[in-house]
Amino acid sequence: MPLIDDWFASRAWSPFGFQRATWKAYQDGQSGLIHAATGTGKTYAVWMSALSEWIDEHPDRTTWSEQKPPGLRVLWVTPLRALASDTENALLQPVRDLALPWIVESRTGDTTSTVRGRQRRRLPTALVTTPESLSLLLANKDAEQNFRDLRLIVVDEWHELMSSKRGTQTELALARLRRWRPSARLWGLSATMGNLDVALRALIGTAEYATGEIKQGVLIQGQEPKAIHIDSIIPPTMERFPWAGHLGLKLLDSVIGTIQRGRTSLVFTNTRAQTEIWYQAILDAKPEWAGEIALHHGSLDKASREWVENGLREGKLRCVVCTSSLDLGVDFAPVDVVIQVGSPKGVGRLLQRTGRSGHQPGAESRVTCAPTHAFEYLEIAAVRDAASRGIIEARPPIEKPLDVLSQHLVTVALGGGFVADELFQEVRTAYAYRQLTRGEFEWTLDFVARGGNALHAYPEYSRIVLNADGRYQVDNNVMARTHRMSIGTILGDATLKVQFIRGAEIGFAEENFLARLQPGDKFTLGGKVLEFVRIRDMKAWVRAASSKRGIVPRWFGGSLPISSELTQAVREKLDEARAGVYASDEMRAIRPILELQAKWSTIPSRNDLLIERVKTREGNHLFVYPFEGRLVHEGMASLIAYRVSRMTPITFTISVNDYGFELLSPDETPLDDMLPTVFSADNLADDIAHSLNASELAKRQFREIARIAGLVIQRFPGGQKSAKQLQASSSLLYDVFTKYDPDNLLLHQAYREVLERQLEINRLQNALEKIMAGKIILNDVRRPTPFAFPLLIERVRQTMTSEALADRVRKMTLALEKEIIHEQVAPKHQSSAL
Amino acid sequence: MSIPMVTSIANEPVHLYAQRGLYVPRLGVLLITDTHWGKASTFRRAAIPVPTGDLAGDLARLDTLIAATHPRRLIVLGDLVHAARGYEPMMLGEIGAWRTRNADLPITLVRGNHDTHAGDPPRDWDIDVYDAPYLLPPFVLMHYPARHEAGYVLSGHLHPAVQLVGKGRQKLKLPCFWIQRDHTVLPAFGSFISHMTVTARESDRVYVIADQDVIAV
Repeated sequence: MPLIDDWFASRAWSPFGFQRATWKAYQDGQSGLIHAATGTGKTYAVWMSALSEWIDEHPDRTTWSEQKPPGLRVLWVTPLRALASDTENALLQPVRDLALPWIVESRTGDTTSTVRGRQRRRLPTALVTTPESLSLLLANKDAEQNFRDLRLIVVDEWHELMSSKRGTQTELALARLRRWRPSARLWGLSATMGNLDVALRALIGTAEYATGEIKQGVLIQGQEPKAIHIDSIIPPTMERFPWAGHLGLKLLDSVIGTIQRGRTSLVFTNTRAQTEIWYQAILDAKPEWAGEIALHHGSLDKASREWVENGLREGKLRCVVCTSSLDLGVDFAPVDVVIQVGSPKGVGRLLQRTGRSGHQPGAESRVTCAPTHAFEYLEIAAVRDAASRGIIEARPPIEKPLDVLSQHLVTVALGGGFVADELFQEVRTAYAYRQLTRGEFEWTLDFVARGGNALHAYPEYSRIVLNADGRYQVDNNVMARTHRMSIGTILGDATLKVQFIRGAEIGFAEENFLARLQPGDKFTLGGKVLEFVRIRDMKAWVRAASSKRGIVPRWFGGSLPISSELTQAVREKLDEARAGVYASDEMRAIRPILELQAKWSTIPSRNDLLIERVKTREGNHLFVYPFEGRLVHEGMASLIAYRVSRMTPITFTISVNDYGFELLSPDETPLDDMLPTVFSADNLADDIAHSLNASELAKRQFREIARIAGLVIQRFPGGQKSAKQLQASSSLLYDVFTKYDPDNLLLHQAYREVLERQLEINRLQNALEKIMAGKIILNDVRRPTPFAFPLLIERVRQTMTSEALADRVRKMTLALEKEIIHEQVAPKHQSSAL
Repeated sequence: MSIPMVTSIANEPVHLYAQRGLYVPRLGVLLITDTHWGKASTFRRAAIPVPTGDLAGDLARLDTLIAATHPRRLIVLGDLVHAARGYEPMMLGEIGAWRTRNADLPITLVRGNHDTHAGDPPRDWDIDVYDAPYLLPPFVLMHYPARHEAGYVLSGHLHPAVQLVGKGRQKLKLPCFWIQRDHTVLPAFGSFISHMTVTARESDRVYVIADQDVIAV
């Protein structure tokens, strides 16, 4: 590729080995996956292949005409619209330098209507887009025509998409494109992960639609950093360190010192709320940095995000406080310093973030951790161990989610229509749906076309219709517009736009949060303190508040559970502590706390299950520490609570974290007689299913499913009146379905997703078997131990009860104004518990 | 058998039913509010596949209330029908059949916001429709909760529920009758309805509905 070599030379770059390997594979017609911890060079590895191919087909430069740009050849899928413009710019560089007559544009939720209009008439040569916008393109009756000359599909940050429903949506879109263009290459760009072969398969599909031939692809490793350094900020005294909570602001000075180590830095936090808190704290401490520091998370409006991204690229910002919103992409703007506030909860995630620092190829990458409570030091020590042993999490794709499929059916019905048999075959070439049964497909089709079983006698319902020519299509304009508008919804909790009464949009916040505000209440968003005025027309209207303090909005999408790989490593560290071995700075820092735990109770060994029992003014507490991560604990807690409540009428509230769970009840639990059988792995599926009926998990999971399957619609064409009439919470729909259509497969999907993704039922099974095979230690303690404390003050609680509702109610009292709980900036300590 | 909570409002004895009705024995009047008939079919018309069955369940519950109270009149405090788009053959059939079963019962509707949009109910439902306020001494009947100088107000519209707290950090949200100094808000009758949490004051009386029981809190 002489032209390409020249271009690289002109930039004083030398192509990496993996880039040459990619170009060769592409020339051989292959698809593949490029994986590495850093972003260095992945983009150009595939992009130059596509440019080179076109140049080879059009060697005569005189035929290159700006007036006749080539039609759509490359589709570049990126998970975040925030990344689209950066990607666009990177792709344009060589196009401009080589004077290629290519048009490179993006198409996302941010794209203006002018550009959209232009693209309707003519698509660019290379289109950068998100999974949602790709679906929208497929929901166009000219879709097949539009993609007739497609040569290359790139999915960027595939590790990020793959195990989410947006990844499933992408898989279905790719299956469609692969059917239309079997010769197009598919290339994925990804971080390192534990299941690369599955990642490749999820990208290229199982088999070719027309021939049934098994697809092949190559795995290519990209540029890895020479070494990775993980260190942490350790306070001089740990005793006064907050046990748990949002703040690690004790470390603020040290974090600022770390920021000052370089010219540019990224401060990663785990939740949007933390981002807002830290940004404010840094700004308060360093007011002279105003304008040089920024915050970035997915709930901010486009203008704010772009300002930050530009600032980073131009080196104008010295510090950006962000969430995983900046985990991805931007391999064009490495920073000097990377700080991780709180535990990263996974090895892969930390490595990815570390890879954002110092992008000189072959240089060392470094991250400085600032934990927000004592036990996070344990996790950091464990992460370092795991990383050095190459242990990285696998990211499994979701198995055949029917809500995504039902959305896709409507998309395809809009995009030219489909024949049922053919679409079934096509969908099965997507890895996620390789095991889709005909029955499941028929159910989904029936649900979408006829409303499913519950509505069989119902002629009024019509989403897609079967035409005389045997194709399913959408024949209703309002339906078409509604569907297109809902594809554009980012999957997540219902959010409302927040806007100044006489002015600009600020961003988004959760509807649940906004709905509880009274006029005059203050909250923080986007670094500004705002005063709530009202909610109207599906927007929250605010004015700038004068006072400094506000409530930080709570986003449910916040806390990540710790990965099982990391919990393994944590337990190994605890074993070391039991043996008196404290081998790292982090472990030495928390030594006093672990010794206190040993004194008041015990540090469980890897094969022990520790249970602590304590009575406080709040009630009777049972603390159980399986160390299996929050998801497994939710399931185990529900299970144990259910089994106990079957033997005696009792009500528990449950709180859960990554180390264990708490069952709190007004009455004592006669647990001694119930051990160890209450932890038996026998009858797990049944018992869990029953406990699910009493818990909120399935209902919460249904929220997402309802939105994806089009049961809950957030934005309507035709204005507010129709919107008001069609507002129903997913919780209400869940109740109606449970009562009147209990066989509905979407309900089953809710249960299944809770089992598999929320409760990790396989992991739960293994954990129970391990408990039964090991020792259970039951300690009666006089006060909550260091392990117990974080659970004690955990805010989010669920309830499990076998008491009759009326009996429960008689013991409860009305929550008067002052007791209604608002999310505060600093959680209150339960001093009564000490 | 439904056993009501017996209490008094504005010195008038009333019966509060877990089936979400309020009966005034001296006047022989049964009051319900916010039935939102046709809400599920409105959704189905918009291609959201809500299963059928909730309307039949609601009408059966209304029959239970009527059987327990034998009222001389049924009054609906607004939002009888959810939307004009909710009228369709199945819904009309179910309600028509119900009305025939209760053909001798006079029914009055005090208009609510949804009724204003949807228009008056079909003639053959035989319902007398009035605008608020509707005077029924000692009460003033309205859809929206407000004070009225002519008397004590009974209203709907809010779909009220309250938050209960208990030992061990329990929380529970339940629909309720919210009795304040000069007005009372009845719980929403319809089942396919979201309830809104209201904050009661110490001087209010709140009766929550817990399955088959009405309990004072």
